[in-house]
Amino acid sequence: MTHPSRSSESGAQLLARLEGKRCLKGLDFQLFPDDCCPAQGDVVEFHGMEGTGKTETLYHLVTCCILPGELGGLEVEVMYVDTDYHFDILRLVSILEHRLPQGSEEILRACLCRISVVHCSSSLQLLLTLHHVEGTLLNRPSLSLLVIDSISAFYWVDKYNGGDSVARQEANLRRIAELLEKIVKEHRIAVFATTHAVMRSNSAEEVAEVGGTSWKRRSVAPSDFTKVYLCRPWQRIVTHRVLFSKANMTNERKQVFTAVSSSGRTNSTKRSSFCMTNAGIQFL
Amino acid sequence: MNKASSAAMVFLREGLCPGLTDEVVQALRAKNIRTVVDLVSSDVEDLAQKCSVSYKSLLAVRRVLLAQNSAFPVTGADLYEELLSSTAILSTGNASLDKLLDSGLYTGELSELVGGPGTGKTQICLGVAVNISCELKQSVLYIDSTGGLSANRLLQMIKAKISNAEEQMEALRRIQVCPVFDVFSLFECLHHFRSTGHQQFLAGGSSVKAVIVDSVSAVLAHMLGGRQTEGMSLMMQVAGELRTLAKDLNVAVLVTNHVTRDGNGMIKAGLGQSWSHTPRTRVLLQRIERPGSTCSSLRTATLIKSSRQPCYSMEEFDLRYWEQCEEKLHGLQGKRKQVSNSPG
Repeated sequence: MTHPSRSSESGAQLLARLEGKRCLKGLDFQLFPDDCCPAQGDVVEFHGMEGTGKTETLYHLVTCCILPGELGGLEVEVMYVDTDYHFDILRLVSILEHRLPQGSEEILRACLCRISVVHCSSSLQLLLTLHHVEGTLLNRPSLSLLVIDSISAFYWVDKYNGGDSVARQEANLRRIAELLEKIVKEHRIAVFATTHAVMRSNSAEEVAEVGGTSWKRRSVAPSDFTKVYLCRPWQRIVTHRVLFSKANMTNERKQVFTAVSSSGRTNSTKRSSFCMTNAGIQFL
Repeated sequence: MNKASSAAMVFLREGLCPGLTDEVVQALRAKNIRTVVDLVSSDVEDLAQKCSVSYKSLLAVRRVLLAQNSAFPVTGADLYEELLSSTAILSTGNASLDKLLDSGLYTGELSELVGGPGTGKTQICLGVAVNISCELKQSVLYIDSTGGLSANRLLQMIKAKISNAEEQMEALRRIQVCPVFDVFSLFECLHHFRSTGHQQFLAGGSSVKAVIVDSVSAVLAHMLGGRQTEGMSLMMQVAGELRTLAKDLNVAVLVTNHVTRDGNGMIKAGLGQSWSHTPRTRVLLQRIERPGSTCSSLRTATLIKSSRQPCYSMEEFDLRYWEQCEEKLHGLQGKRKQVSNSPG
C-alpha cells in the first residue's frame, strides 16, 4: 500500500490512482503563461520578499480549488503544509465568504472540509509528515493540490546543524525534494511551494542580507533578492517559477504587486499585476 | 500538540516503538539503517529481504514510527471552529493604536513594533502590559532585555488607573517580568514558561494572555553579520519558538525591534530579511518633527505589514496620554480617576 510501484497493483487501484484525480485545468490563467499552465505533476515555486503577496496568491488559488463547481471552483481537496504558522484560516474564510452567496453556512463548511492544514516545525518533521501523507494518498483520490508554505523556513537552522558539510546541510531538503518528485509522479498531484527571498544576488560575491546592514553601500533594487539558494535537487524538480515583487507606489497610495511567472519547459514568461482587497487578490 | 523530533528520537533503538526489538535494530544497523529517517525512506520489501526480518513487522514498525513523529492534519472546518472560539483580541489601551491594529493584538499571532531609539517602543509595551493587567485583568509575561522596565514606572501607571492599593498590588503581580541578557536566557525563559505550564503565572484566576519581548533585536542583532550561520540559525529558532508559543498557548506576542535604512534610504525593520517574514503585523513608530512645537511626546504609528488591513495607514498620538482617547470614550462609564499630571 505504501509503495505501489513495487507491489503489484490491481487494475482498479491503478485506475483510482490516475483517473480519480480531478483535473486541475482551469486553475487561474491570469497568473501563468497561456501555453503552460500548471497541471497535475507540476511543481510551482513562489519566490519573493516578505509582504509581496505570495501567501495571498495561495489563498486565491486554494479558494479556486475548494469552491464547488456551481460557483466556479474545481471542487478538489487541498493539503496545506504550514511551516511557519503563517496560515490564517480567518483570512481564507473571509475571502471565501466574498465568493459565496449570503448565508450559505453549509457550502462554507463543505469548502472548509476540503482543505486540511498541517504544521511542521522542523525539516525532519516535514519529511516524515510527507511520508505519512504519501501513505494516505491512495485513499484520497480527490486530493489534487499540495501547498507548502514555506519550504525555505528551515534553511538557516539546517545550515547550522549540518556543520561544515554542505551535503549534510542540504540532506533533509534533498530528501524532501526527492520524495515530492516521487509523489508528484505517482499520484499526479500539483505542488505549490513558497520560498522566501533572503539572499542578494550579488555578482561579485555571495552576500546574505543579515542584520539589516550590508557591507557595501549601494542602491539595491528589489529584484536583487532573487538569488536562488535552496539545494540543487529542489531546483531540479521545480517546473514553474513565479517571482513576486512590490511595484512602486502609485499616487493613489494603493499598493500594486507584480508577479512574473516563467516556465522551465517552454521558456515563456508572463507578467501580471494585482492588488489586495478584502475579497483577496484582484488582478489588474 | 505536535513537537519537533528531538535528537533522541532520531536514532533507532530498542523499545522506540513496539516491534522494534534489539535484534531488529542490530539487523537494520548492519545494513546502515540507523535513524528513523533512514528506515522511513527505504523500501520496506527490499529491506525486509536484506535484513531477514519479517516484512509485516517492519511495515508495522514503519507505520508506528511515522505516526509518532509526523504532524497530523486538521481539516479547515475544525481549525476554523477552534480559532473562532479561542481567538481573543486584546486592546492595547490606546484607541488610535487599536484602530491601526484592527481592534488590538490578536492572540495566536506575533506583532512587531519597530522604531528608532526614543520613539516610545518600551513606553508602549509598558502601556499594553498595564492595560492588559488592569483593564482586562489578565496576566502578562514581560521579557525585558534592555533594562528599560522599572517596577516603579509600572506602579505609577497602574496607580493612574486603579485607586485601591490592594488592587494595585494585584495588578502589579499579574505582570510577570523576566529579565534576559542573551539569546540563551531568552530560550530558557520561554522554555520555562512553556513547561511549567504557564499556570505558574496564574494570579487570582487570570491566565497569561500576552507575552511581550522588549526588545528582540537586543539579544539577536549582535549575533548576525559576517559569514557565520549560528546567529541566523538561533534567530530563526527564536522566531519559531515565539510563533509556536503564540499558537499553542493562545497568547498574543508583541516584540520590539530597531530600524535601519536600506540601500535606497528607506526605513525598514532591523534583523534582516529572514526575520522580516516572522511577524504577522508590523507597526513603525516615528517622532513628529514639527518646527516650533515644544511638545516632544507626539508620535506617529504607521502600519507597514498586516494581513487584515491596508498598509500605510497612519495614526497620531501622544505618548503622555496613553488612555486619553479611551478616557473620552468611556469617561462616563469608567470609575477611573482623571489623569491630572502627565506620567512622563
